[in-house]
Amino acid sequence: MADVIPPHSIKIDENNCIGCVRCMKACPTKAIRVRNKKARLINERCIDCGECLRVCPYNAVIPLTTSPSDLNSFKYRIAIPSPVLYSQLGQHIMPSEILSTLKEIGFDYVYDEALVCEMTGIVIEEYLDENKSPRPIISSTCPVVVRLIQRLFPDLCQLIIPIEPPRETAAKNLRKEISKEFKISEEDIGIIHITPCPAKIVSINRPETLNKSFLDGAISIHEIYNSIMINLKKLERPTMLKSQGEISGIGISWAMAGGEIRGLKYYHSVSVSGVYDTIKILEDVEAGRLKDIEYLECLICPDGCIGGPLTVENRFIAKSNILRLIRIFGDKRRVDTHFVKQLYKEKLFSFERGIAPKPFPPLAKDKGEAIKRLKLKEKIIKKLPRTDCGVCGAPDCETFAEDIACGETALKDCVFLNPVKESASL
Amino acid sequence: MAPKDIGLEHIFQEEFEIKGGDFINAGEASCKIRNILKEIGIDANIIRRVAIASYEAEMNVVMFARRGIMGFTVTPDKIFITVDDEGQGIEDIELAMQPGYSTATPEMREMGFGAGMGLPNIKKNADTFNISSTVGVGTKLEIIINMNGNNYNG
Repeated sequence: MADVIPPHSIKIDENNCIGCVRCMKACPTKAIRVRNKKARLINERCIDCGECLRVCPYNAVIPLTTSPSDLNSFKYRIAIPSPVLYSQLGQHIMPSEILSTLKEIGFDYVYDEALVCEMTGIVIEEYLDENKSPRPIISSTCPVVVRLIQRLFPDLCQLIIPIEPPRETAAKNLRKEISKEFKISEEDIGIIHITPCPAKIVSINRPETLNKSFLDGAISIHEIYNSIMINLKKLERPTMLKSQGEISGIGISWAMAGGEIRGLKYYHSVSVSGVYDTIKILEDVEAGRLKDIEYLECLICPDGCIGGPLTVENRFIAKSNILRLIRIFGDKRRVDTHFVKQLYKEKLFSFERGIAPKPFPPLAKDKGEAIKRLKLKEKIIKKLPRTDCGVCGAPDCETFAEDIACGETALKDCVFLNPVKESASL
Repeated sequence: MAPKDIGLEHIFQEEFEIKGGDFINAGEASCKIRNILKEIGIDANIIRRVAIASYEAEMNVVMFARRGIMGFTVTPDKIFITVDDEGQGIEDIELAMQPGYSTATPEMREMGFGAGMGLPNIKKNADTFNISSTVGVGTKLEIIINMNGNNYNG
């Protein structure tokens, strides 16, 4: 593992980057510039959504998820796969088969996150029961949405439900239980999430609501897919695994948008997915237009986690697979509600600390200077062509004007104002 | 605190036109104001107060006037919002300032407006609030919100 914890879930490989503008254009928070024909990431602006990763055709955006070889540093290895994994391997493979395959490829113990998803649903209801205002309460599941709110909608941090996402709760509990049951020291246990997106690695490396994440890493579905596939073929079917009887479709449905609010008794809840739709709805929340909504589930990937950038299966097929599993496992809760409520009272699900606002850096720290730069920016915009071509290295003319006002680049980089002379001939 | 000398370069001004009866674009001016304040790095609490005051003022023009101009000025110490509308005006300002009083139509109420909290909300969120009106001509608002020296420190 690297000595310095990287601030983000991706890095740009300068050897592969050819300096095109795709990632810069795709970035919803304008966190990328192209300088000297290489993409550069502005750390304070990146929210780890992975849009750059989706669009780069040159393998220059590298996800920083845990490598399967890192598993060797732990004596006892536990996998907590996202329920998304159940949607990735065709419609005839059951969750129990996938879980037992994980045991073939290096894990000593496998835990079904769907179970804790179902529990967390009950906990969300409890929280909404106890806290009648403010509204809407926003889901904490997607780490990118949490970061987006901290950065772009700092005032809404107080609306995020102070309940850990299922992956953390599961890991928290497992570490204690496994250590006790198998007499292994807690430090020797490595708990690995199997993830459809790179953002989880940031919430593990730099948790916002915990002093230390209960997870030790996150391996991408993309990276583990082949070895699961190969071992599934070897598996003698059908496999019966104890856990199969415990889970319901409610927990599995968390893999896709709408899963969290499925079965919630607060029917006036809303599910939103995709980065632009999420920003749009959060703007409405900020403007105070959605106070009659009880619970708001926002997931940054299109259609939710099944649309994650590190998945393998086409997300529409994945959705169909999840819907099939919901039909098989049923739409009724199976976990013991009283037991879950007791654990909630014992704070098993709670944040250790609240989410602090982390607004984007302003034009300048001094307000007078910031106003000065804002005026300069408006003046510069008027000179620019407004074609948003990106050749200057900024994603659009407005951002270019902002960069000039902050002294980071110069007007001469605009090809419309300073046409490049034709020099090369074919 | 004595007002310090500020140069023109430290004053940002913008004007927004608001159309009466345009419920589709209602709220755009206050949204733009909010974004400008975020760019300057104004404290979230101040932004919230400005956003509420400017939104309510904007909605009053949309609901009750033919057209209006919202002026927005920000200096390092204060935020000024002025609204100057052409419309029916307010007959009894004292009555209009009372929470719950509204002359909104049933249709507007159906859309969730006209709770009679507009002007009281503006006053609550402003450090200085002035209102004057001429029946049949229009209404003028002046809102000032102080920064209290809160600088960006993140």
